[in-house]
Amino acid sequence: MIEVNKLSVKIQDKTLLSGIDFHVDDGNYWVVVGPNGSGKSTLLKTLMGILPIHSGQISLNQRHINQYKQRERAQLMSYVPQNSGRELPFSVEEFLKMSRYSYHSPLSEWSNQDQQAIEEALTITDTQSFRTRLMKTLSGGECQRVMIAAALSQQTPLILLDEPTSYLDPHHQVEIHQLINQLNKTHQMTVIEVSHDINHAAHPDKQVLALRDGQVLWQGNGPDLLDKQRLKQLYQQDFTFVVHPTNQRLFALAETP
Amino acid sequence: MTSSHKLILITLLSFIIAFSAPWIGLSDIANEIVKQQILLDIRLPRVMFAFVAGAGLSLCGMVFQAMFHNPLATPFTLGVASGASFGAACMVFAGLNVTLLGFDIITIGAFIGALVAITFVFFISQLQRGFSSETLLLTGVATSFFFSSLILFIQYLSDMTDSFMIMRWLMGGLSSASYHSLLQLIPIVTISTAIILWLSRELNLLMAGDDIALSRGVSVKQVRYLLFFSTSLCVGGIVALCGPIGFIGMMVPHICRLLIGTDHRWLTPATIMFGGGFLILCDGIARLLIAPAEIPVGIITTLLGGPFFLWLLIKRRQG
Repeated sequence: MIEVNKLSVKIQDKTLLSGIDFHVDDGNYWVVVGPNGSGKSTLLKTLMGILPIHSGQISLNQRHINQYKQRERAQLMSYVPQNSGRELPFSVEEFLKMSRYSYHSPLSEWSNQDQQAIEEALTITDTQSFRTRLMKTLSGGECQRVMIAAALSQQTPLILLDEPTSYLDPHHQVEIHQLINQLNKTHQMTVIEVSHDINHAAHPDKQVLALRDGQVLWQGNGPDLLDKQRLKQLYQQDFTFVVHPTNQRLFALAETP
Repeated sequence: MTSSHKLILITLLSFIIAFSAPWIGLSDIANEIVKQQILLDIRLPRVMFAFVAGAGLSLCGMVFQAMFHNPLATPFTLGVASGASFGAACMVFAGLNVTLLGFDIITIGAFIGALVAITFVFFISQLQRGFSSETLLLTGVATSFFFSSLILFIQYLSDMTDSFMIMRWLMGGLSSASYHSLLQLIPIVTISTAIILWLSRELNLLMAGDDIALSRGVSVKQVRYLLFFSTSLCVGGIVALCGPIGFIGMMVPHICRLLIGTDHRWLTPATIMFGGGFLILCDGIARLLIAPAEIPVGIITTLLGGPFFLWLLIKRRQG
């Protein structure tokens, strides 16, 4: 689905990403990890067309991404930005309707298909009960679910999520992760998620792209991320590993001096 | 009450103002012919002119507020009106008397001045990520001062007549209203309004931020260029003909947003209607306050707008 080749991104002479190569197949769940400032969000924004490509290329379904109009791109991928939405002056339903932009011209009518798309998004994210509420009255967890619902209303095969669970309490973190898993498993969506949670990334169903200083440090299957050397190199931090008592999976804990 | 009902109500109110304004004080005149002359040749074009100018300035304010995510952004506060004034003053000073594509050279000067100012303010706002509303307004104030001092410089170089003309015109007034000036203004404001109405959905998404707008499929750059072009054209055209009429671009969209909400598909027509009616009303006050003399309407709108601006500023800080 996505092929990234020797991608580099620069903003005002500052290199944010360089020599990025990776490949996403339909139905994959990729987690992008790495320390702060390693270029994770930059990668998502470049895929979405928010930041320009400096060199190298990204192809989407075998076509160079710059050949797509922004409108066409929005029918193929949706994006949930980091910690946003709570200052917006719209009601939840209005905001979801705005996600159908790419399917409309200025004069076209709101169709049944549009309504169905947002109803489905509300149902999947379990947000039907706040459709008339204003965005600014939502709590952090509610707002994140609405932001995901808005992305789902675009009905795209690929969804990009930038730290969807940061700023959320443990319960809401689990809830949002279950939701994303469901999108990937039940709805066959391809997912690329930026996360700081290495134990979440190290799941057998996930692929991991580890970035450091704007370059790919390592990529591979989720569980293989949990390697002492690898994590030390990635975060400049020592980790200890423990076995989870119920599911027997390995877990990494950051060591404290 | 739905949005469409509210829009109809605003439109009705505006029309009542527009239709009653020309008749004020006419009953004192006995001569029917004089009465008719005043009504058709003076009052009617003036009311129409006020409507078009008020609608245009309000609309530009609305666009700036959506584009910069800031309720205090207006042609006036961002220095765009000053840019246009400077452009126009340059042309007055140069004494050129040319028309280009049917537009007066002063209008073209004002358009270029407005475009330079808005581009400059936008450029500064892009330099810094996480640009605060205070910085935006300060940039606007700086731009405004910069152009104002250039205008003073031009005034200093001009002779008495030109200097007085520039000063009188800077106060912002509708006394130049005539069918001729109306014909100059209507195409400009119509083109800008059509573009802005066409981009109503894009304006909604721009309010949600550039990242969200792009991810929903808006070609943000193209839309922004179109909006810069149309607002510069509109502000330029209006400022060239009636000077910088202040603050209307801030008050009207704000009141309309309170009345009708933030959806630009409703907000845009409501702003046009309310803005038009509001400037007619202000012009009526300007004409009646020290009648038989009249004061420039810009003084009235700025007198109303100043406190309104402070109120918004304080409310924002508290919120």
